[in-house]
Amino acid sequence: MGENLINILGLSSLLTIVLLVLVLVVKMERLKQVRATVNKLKKSLDEMDEQAKLIVHTDMELNKTQEELDKKVNSLYALQRLSRAISTSLEEGKIFKMIDAAYLIELGFEKACGFLWSRDEQKFLLQINTGYLPAEMEAIQSTLTLEQDKFSELIKKQKTVSSISPKIDLWLKEKIKKLFLSETFILSPILPKEGSKGLLFVGTENPDTVITEGDEELITIVANQISQALDNARLYEKTWAAQQDLEKKVEERTRELTLVLNEVKIISKRKTDFISSVSHELRTPLTAIKGYASILLAGKLGELPLEIKERLEKINRHSDELVHLVNDLLDIARIESGRMEMKKEALDLKKIIETVADLLAGQMKQKHIDFSSEVSEDAKAVFADRGQIERVFINLIGNAIKFTPQKGKIMVHTLALNDQVQVNVADTGCGIPEEALDAIFEEFYRVDNPINQEVKGTGLGLALVKHIIEAHNGKIWVKSRPGAGSTFSFTLPKPS
Amino acid sequence: MAIQVGLGTSIDKDPLKAAREAAKTARLNLHSENVDLAVVFSSVEFTHTTFLKTIAAVAGTVNIIGSSSFGIITSQAIFKSGIAIMLFSFPETIHFSCACIKDVGPRPAASIGIELADKLSVEFKNVRRNVGVLFSDGLMQDSSGLLDGLRERFGMSFPLAGASSSDNLTFKKTFQYFNTEVLNYAVCGLLLGGRLNFGLGVQHGWKPLGKPRYVTKSSANIVYEIDGAPAAKVYEEYFASDIEKLRKDLRRILAFYPMGIYLPGEQEYLLRSLLFITDSGALVFQGNIPQESEVRLMIGTKESCLAAAGQAADEVKRGLAGRPCNFVFVFESISRYILLGRQINKELGIIKEKLGKDIPIIGIYTYGEQAPLKSIDYHGMVHFHNQTIAILGIGG
Repeated sequence: MGENLINILGLSSLLTIVLLVLVLVVKMERLKQVRATVNKLKKSLDEMDEQAKLIVHTDMELNKTQEELDKKVNSLYALQRLSRAISTSLEEGKIFKMIDAAYLIELGFEKACGFLWSRDEQKFLLQINTGYLPAEMEAIQSTLTLEQDKFSELIKKQKTVSSISPKIDLWLKEKIKKLFLSETFILSPILPKEGSKGLLFVGTENPDTVITEGDEELITIVANQISQALDNARLYEKTWAAQQDLEKKVEERTRELTLVLNEVKIISKRKTDFISSVSHELRTPLTAIKGYASILLAGKLGELPLEIKERLEKINRHSDELVHLVNDLLDIARIESGRMEMKKEALDLKKIIETVADLLAGQMKQKHIDFSSEVSEDAKAVFADRGQIERVFINLIGNAIKFTPQKGKIMVHTLALNDQVQVNVADTGCGIPEEALDAIFEEFYRVDNPINQEVKGTGLGLALVKHIIEAHNGKIWVKSRPGAGSTFSFTLPKPS
Repeated sequence: MAIQVGLGTSIDKDPLKAAREAAKTARLNLHSENVDLAVVFSSVEFTHTTFLKTIAAVAGTVNIIGSSSFGIITSQAIFKSGIAIMLFSFPETIHFSCACIKDVGPRPAASIGIELADKLSVEFKNVRRNVGVLFSDGLMQDSSGLLDGLRERFGMSFPLAGASSSDNLTFKKTFQYFNTEVLNYAVCGLLLGGRLNFGLGVQHGWKPLGKPRYVTKSSANIVYEIDGAPAAKVYEEYFASDIEKLRKDLRRILAFYPMGIYLPGEQEYLLRSLLFITDSGALVFQGNIPQESEVRLMIGTKESCLAAAGQAADEVKRGLAGRPCNFVFVFESISRYILLGRQINKELGIIKEKLGKDIPIIGIYTYGEQAPLKSIDYHGMVHFHNQTIAILGIGG
């Protein structure tokens, strides 16, 4: 019984051990599998990490390339905008203000400043600052001024220098770096053709920033454009100053001329007043002389001998001429002083011309002059003083008769302008020499010709005509050539 | 009455003229006589010693807070060089306070955070605090510590949006603006509370690459060893380069390949920008990387970054839950500006498309951003980020 029990226990133990061994084997197998999986995963993770390294490496390279590309694109954009901004200003003081710091930063530099040398103040004047604190900038400015010899020399060399440039001494390179607090820099001279010169500095504290020759060229272009803009502004300023000067001179001269004109007006008024008063004074004794002469001629004081009668007739005739002259003078004086009242009304030129032609028909007949007039429907109505306009026609046609030889022609014709009517009085007379054309309307001017030497005249007719026409806001002029006749033209307003 | 906002910008090269012009425009655009606060952002060349006095005089307020930056973001455009001012007139239902801690350089960051929080809270007795805005010197080493201090006073989940001031990528001097003072090594804060609504979105769009690695030795923002080897080895391996070459490419690495810290429960990794590689092969980052963190190298594309900006704006909308938004602050990493390049305006377009084309936006490019983590695991705790866009929309 006991032995059986031992056998059973032994067997079951054996079975258990076998089972356990089997489980252990399975577990070990599983553990092996798990370990293999873990190793696989670990390997995958390591591989993934290696891939990550590759990604990071590639990403870094891509970023660098992207940055460089961005920098180039930004530089070109910035250059374009800078150029546009700089060229828009014609004021020297505003050129640098047009440079937006953002553009320079886009060029890849966080620090930038620009100076121009002032001869008056004997120092470099700050024109633009970006990236420097006010205190830092003050220090830069004062050092630049203190050591202006070195920097002026640099400007004179007309070359852009940079931290990669082999063109400058090492000590100067270090000095610039220290002064402008930049590890990497480009310094380009601003060289306008005239006036104060200066320098443009761009830099960065980042020692890793790589400057290329392209960057140097870019900054040189910016500095050149500033120089050009300064030239333009200075030229513009010069032109503007000259224009201002000219305007000032014109203004001064105008003022002088106005003063002279006022003086002339005063003198002219005095002359008019004098003529007016003298004429009045003359008319009274003339009337008396003419009166007495008439009485004597009429024989009211007894019959006179023929010789005395002839003399008295001469006195009478000369008195008439004198009265005529005095009246003309008085009328001119009245018109000049504005005392002559013009009774303006709508007039029919055709009728006036006919009336005057009738009045002068005898004289024309005597010289066999062919008179014709042509007054169109649209150019016959004028707004004027009848009496004065008749005087104009009498004077002009009268003159034409006087200077037109036997069997000559006098033509009067009108033409419509916008709000005026132009009247032309043409003759086939002896004409007027060119040198006399300007003076012909002046008082007491008489053209030097045989007819004038023969026929007496006051020299006031055309002056009076001019005054009458001008009093009607019209104009009068003459076209003539010696031997080819004359055409007197004047304008009068149409009735509104 | 709602919050009144007036935005003004200028790119005039004369800092004082620019300040006057921008303040004048902001004043004209602010449809209110009362000016409570001015937020001023400018590129470094505009940080004239007296330009804030000019702004105060023209804007009619001495409550000024702001920062220098690599570039300025506004709803009108993105300026590489310029000045932007946003003026605020708050209704009585909204409270605000500004405070500043100067000369923070040598002090422990956490104590600065505590002091700033205390100063900001003085004006907020019995008033509900809603959200805070921070501007700190971008060269401050321990930005994460600063947040520890703020969290200690305001609570773990108090929402903050912050920006580390930047310069022209020279890492030499950044500026903080407080009232009429132009400061360095300062931390300025703005606390807003009362009846206002806000939405805060934070995204970056960078994706992990390669196998996970573990920080085996680190201290604050310096990582000495990764997977038991000098930390720089990771970068050496990925870039098939030695330390010297890596240093030369550092700016590119900073912008394009940050280190991502895995955060359980968070959709996105917390990013850290590489600042410096020591001779011994340690990596100095812009924010802390705790020891034993799981980290991975990150890679970004323009598309993923643009998509992230859209997602951040969507988060703002979700936070506002349909309530109106009066203005938007954008704090965005410089790296994103570099990565997006000429597509940077596209990003602004996406934000405007999501939050409204006429909404006033003002923002800066930063050396680091402070914003909350979203997942439940982190209880909305504010962290220091790199390479991120943080958008804060406020209405009230």
